[in-house]
Amino acid sequence: MDGSVSLDQVVMRFGDFTAIERSSLEIHSGEFFSFLGPSGCGKTTLLNMVSGFLTPSEGQILIGGEPMAGVPVNRRPTAMIFQNLALFPLMSVYENIEFGLEVRGVNKRARREVSERLLSLVALEGSGDKQVAELSGGQKQRIAIARALAVEPRVLLLDEPLSALDLKLRQHMRAELKAIQRKTGITFIYITHDQGEALTMSDRVAVMSSGRIQQVADPMTLYRTPQTGFVAAFVGENNRLEVTVAERDGERLTLDAGRLGRLQGSAVPGASDGLKAGDSAALFIRPEQLRLLGQGSSGPALEAEVEAVHFEGAWLMLETRLVASAERLRLQLSGEQARGAAGRLTQGERVRLGYDPAEAVVLPNDGSPVVDEETGEVKEAANVPAA
Amino acid sequence: MFRQLSARFGSPVAMAIVTLLGMWLIMMVTLPQLQMIEYSLRPNLLPAQIGGPDDRLTVANYVTLFNNDIHRAIFLKTIWSSVLVTLLTLAVSYPLAWYLAKVATPRQAALCILLLIVPFWINEILRTYSWFILLAFRGPLNEVLLALGLIERPIRFLSGDAGVMVGMVYAYILFMVFPLYNAIESLDGNQVRAARDLGAGTLRTHRRIVIPHAKPGIATGCIMVFMLAAGSYAVPALLGSPGSRWFTQIIYNWFFEGGNWNQGAAYAFLLLVLCIGFMSLVMKLFKVGLGDIAK
Repeated sequence: MDGSVSLDQVVMRFGDFTAIERSSLEIHSGEFFSFLGPSGCGKTTLLNMVSGFLTPSEGQILIGGEPMAGVPVNRRPTAMIFQNLALFPLMSVYENIEFGLEVRGVNKRARREVSERLLSLVALEGSGDKQVAELSGGQKQRIAIARALAVEPRVLLLDEPLSALDLKLRQHMRAELKAIQRKTGITFIYITHDQGEALTMSDRVAVMSSGRIQQVADPMTLYRTPQTGFVAAFVGENNRLEVTVAERDGERLTLDAGRLGRLQGSAVPGASDGLKAGDSAALFIRPEQLRLLGQGSSGPALEAEVEAVHFEGAWLMLETRLVASAERLRLQLSGEQARGAAGRLTQGERVRLGYDPAEAVVLPNDGSPVVDEETGEVKEAANVPAA
Repeated sequence: MFRQLSARFGSPVAMAIVTLLGMWLIMMVTLPQLQMIEYSLRPNLLPAQIGGPDDRLTVANYVTLFNNDIHRAIFLKTIWSSVLVTLLTLAVSYPLAWYLAKVATPRQAALCILLLIVPFWINEILRTYSWFILLAFRGPLNEVLLALGLIERPIRFLSGDAGVMVGMVYAYILFMVFPLYNAIESLDGNQVRAARDLGAGTLRTHRRIVIPHAKPGIATGCIMVFMLAAGSYAVPALLGSPGSRWFTQIIYNWFFEGGNWNQGAAYAFLLLVLCIGFMSLVMKLFKVGLGDIAK
């Protein structure tokens, strides 16, 4: 059963507004694939085009190699799990799960067999006669999954289904969803704005912003070698410094960071290939890549002043402000460093920060949207080179 | 109720409101009804005989209906026709309410509702007369049908029940559209999308998802339209023919032409019983309570 999905030169416009810029993408059969992006990035529009609720303005969508143009929602080999689940409140759990089979004219006995099997898959045996209103949040979630799986879709579409759950349950359901996906072997297409969900569950992730697919990669690649500034800032946390390229030696770059002096960083294969001396760029250092340096240590260091110390249990989050440029840097300290710093560091204290230039990525200042570090909101890029 | 009112307005005002309300209910609603029942249980006598030996309680006025073949036939026909009017109105209103609630843009919906309401700014009698003109033997509808070549000679729309039906569906459509609209509007759009996504076609989606959800609205609309239809006087009087008399016309005749108020009261009370019966039946059928209907 081929559950591959292809987007072929797909464009979606609503009047003058382009919700999806021309995009092409291959999702493999049996893959757990996520679309990750802030609200309004077009990820739900994409999902609605795959399910058939929307027809692309241009281009086509293929499922299992078959073009879906003209195939209505109710004839597509997809099933959707809605953000609000949309269980049928006037029907029992059995009736909910069996609805899709009832539509297909499956007899009552065969229907009941399927729903019993699915109820045991989602670990809710014996709940078939319950009313939807009697179920807890997590149980509703599972019934929604069972209802969608009952029609044996080749592709399961999930529209932020975990967003209404509380944190513990959400983490539990992540593992459960992943397990169900493995067991059934169905292609899962998952929509989320929560990078944690996307990274933990997905085989591959497409990061989206302003109707564009920014990067498609497995979670590790996405985290380590982001191809655009947006991906660097949106996936995981990142500190961004505006710089100008001073020298290039292969992948190793020497950067002019204005008042901060010279810094080092690494070019990302592909995205940073064109970077040369004199170009405006952005240096990204993740909070866990920054270290506190001892007083006597040599080598490049950033002088900063501690603004706040947050104890997070397993790690320590340090907010600092660079002495030279007043830019903010966040540090995540763990292990020995966290134990050493806890209690000792206080607001206003001077610290010296170091990082490994091989891990810090440099990307061209490409005008892709940036994520505001304070609020997490997505803004258009500030193309201001470091002063 | 008194306690809530007095907490809000103070007890003198609360007392006044409750008293007014009570007087309204007792003097304008309960007493006239009781008087009508009392009338219906007494024979029609000359003024001189009232209070005399013949003035005693009797069910003779009720028996009349069952002994008079013509009246009984008209009574049954009124029930049947009112049911038909109700079903027709439902059939016309459901797609309209669906369109207004789920398909139309807010602008289109507003325009459509305006178009539905505008005719109701005109008096019901005048509106009914306009149908009389439209449906007349040499009226515009026949002219159009003739011109289009759909019929060869004019049709007498007004000779049977058809004119009455059309007039009633038109007169009471709002009482069906609005409860339906309210009910359908409150349905989560994702319910419909989920049903479609699981493979349901349009008909099944409506049968399994939309209609069960809209049941209280359907019940409300049906009850209102049935009662209005069964109790209508103007429409059958204006658009009906001698062959399509309505039970209300019989009641009218007893009161104002036969001069037999007692007989008229008995008939009117039977009509009331019929309406209450229909209402309970519909509520039972749709498994809705009075509370759902009042919404």
